[in-house]
Amino acid sequence: MDWVFLSELAINGVLTGLLYSLFAIGLVLIYKASSVPNLAQGGLTMVGAYVVLALSHDAGLPLWLAIPLAALIMFGLGFGIERVALRRLAGRPVVMILMLTLGLDIFLRGTTLAIWGGTSRSMELGVSYDPLFLGDIFISRIHLVGAGVALALFVAFMLFFRTRTGIKLRAIADDYMASWSVGISVERGVGLSWALASVVAVAAGVIWGEIQGVDQALSLLLLKGLTVAVLGGLDSILGAVIAGIILGVVENVGADFLDPLVGGGSRELIVAAVLILTVMIRPHGLFGRHDIERV
Amino acid sequence: MQEKVEAQNILSMNSIEVLYDNVLLAIKGVSVQVPKGEMIALLGSNGAGKSTTLKAISGLLKAERGRISRGEIKFEGTDITEMLAQKRVEMGICHVIEGRRVFEHLTPDENLTAAAPMGMSKATLNAEKEKIYSFFPRLAERKNSQAGYLSGGEQQMLAIGRALVTQPSLLMLDEPSLGLAPFLVEEIFGIIKQINQEQGLSVLLVEQNALAALEIVSEGYLIENGRVVMHGAADALKANSDIQEFYLGGGEGTNFHEVKHYSRRKRWLS
Repeated sequence: MDWVFLSELAINGVLTGLLYSLFAIGLVLIYKASSVPNLAQGGLTMVGAYVVLALSHDAGLPLWLAIPLAALIMFGLGFGIERVALRRLAGRPVVMILMLTLGLDIFLRGTTLAIWGGTSRSMELGVSYDPLFLGDIFISRIHLVGAGVALALFVAFMLFFRTRTGIKLRAIADDYMASWSVGISVERGVGLSWALASVVAVAAGVIWGEIQGVDQALSLLLLKGLTVAVLGGLDSILGAVIAGIILGVVENVGADFLDPLVGGGSRELIVAAVLILTVMIRPHGLFGRHDIERV
Repeated sequence: MQEKVEAQNILSMNSIEVLYDNVLLAIKGVSVQVPKGEMIALLGSNGAGKSTTLKAISGLLKAERGRISRGEIKFEGTDITEMLAQKRVEMGICHVIEGRRVFEHLTPDENLTAAAPMGMSKATLNAEKEKIYSFFPRLAERKNSQAGYLSGGEQQMLAIGRALVTQPSLLMLDEPSLGLAPFLVEEIFGIIKQINQEQGLSVLLVEQNALAALEIVSEGYLIENGRVVMHGAADALKANSDIQEFYLGGGEGTNFHEVKHYSRRKRWLS
């Protein structure tokens, strides 16, 4: 057993996993405030990345300005989505809202394809590709940066959900009707959660865009993000972070063992297995809220 | 004269009709007046339209695809018939909906915070919370546990406390006694009465438990099939033989073998 190699796999698994968490936090934000898994988060992430590219490469703004500006634009887009599409569905069955987010995802993918085409573009963040050595272990710098961003967002949102606005969002997720009855603006709360998730999408879009290039494939992150969110419990930000790490490590180490046996491609299998097993064995995930049954 | 009567009523609801899904007529011309600082009860059996009446006043009808198709509702002289629910809460109407519906995954303390108006200062909020905890000491004891695990009575107290954080001038309670032990009903009704007397809070109470309700209110309305069929002072209603028989479980000395059951059955309906 090569321990150095194994720990390298594990550490890089942790970092990759935190990048999944970065994506999954967006899903959790929306679920926390409206109890709907947002199937359009992949599309939003891709749009976030394209908006940053449009501002930096096409309009010539420096990145330090383009990224916050893109976050601001996406923040507005999130509110807009609630205003135009979701408001009419408030109080309707979750399945209808779920279908709406799926439609939205297709719409976002179609729109980006029409505007920016299908060729992959690079983000050019300027993070060095020189390997970083920790003892004998090789670490990718961009993964390290991304993991840092994920952890920073995690802390920020943990604090946010203790503020009065954050508590109101959690109240909305619990009970729309009761929220209306005490004067909480459910519409604005759901809008805010979409706006925040869209900002997270910019962060995920920039990091993942740097890693795998900006193209339609970015929206496919939804599958891994959803797996992480479900494993973590859908409404727990802490769960998303820990589940991300677990999935990253299991995937990285597991694939190394399995790939020689099955001849490659076992990563996807592992992700699928994790998703299916979670739903079967522990449907509310590691940290998800149980639905309370009082006896 | 008319003007003066208007001014005394914090809420005046005139011939309200409510349609659900544009077809189902749930209440058919209900008029209810709540004088300032008074406690009023809406009585009636299941499905009579009591809850719908409250939802028409609080604006929660919209969430259930209902709408007011006729009539008008005035709150402190302002027409609120078309106003958003959130605006009505800001004006001072708070509706404690049926079935308690606390925010289960939040703590009681967070439940109170969630209901605080955005503009309320932290100091005011804390003072409000202290006041509510003094009304309901049981809540103070459990303020950091999960609200979903509170007992039924504690949840009802929390639901009322949560409504009080919005600083209402009209509190509407929908079946607060539902599923609670009689001593708890007495305790909760006692506290409501106390708040009503100490702070001049007007209360509109919906109850199936007519006996308990008529003990604490000054006037009652009896609603059947979406219409007000009787209105009077609490004492007069308690003395009414029909009310006694159908709602208070009484009818003293009635020999049920001799009563022709169709002859007196809710004859005000037709």
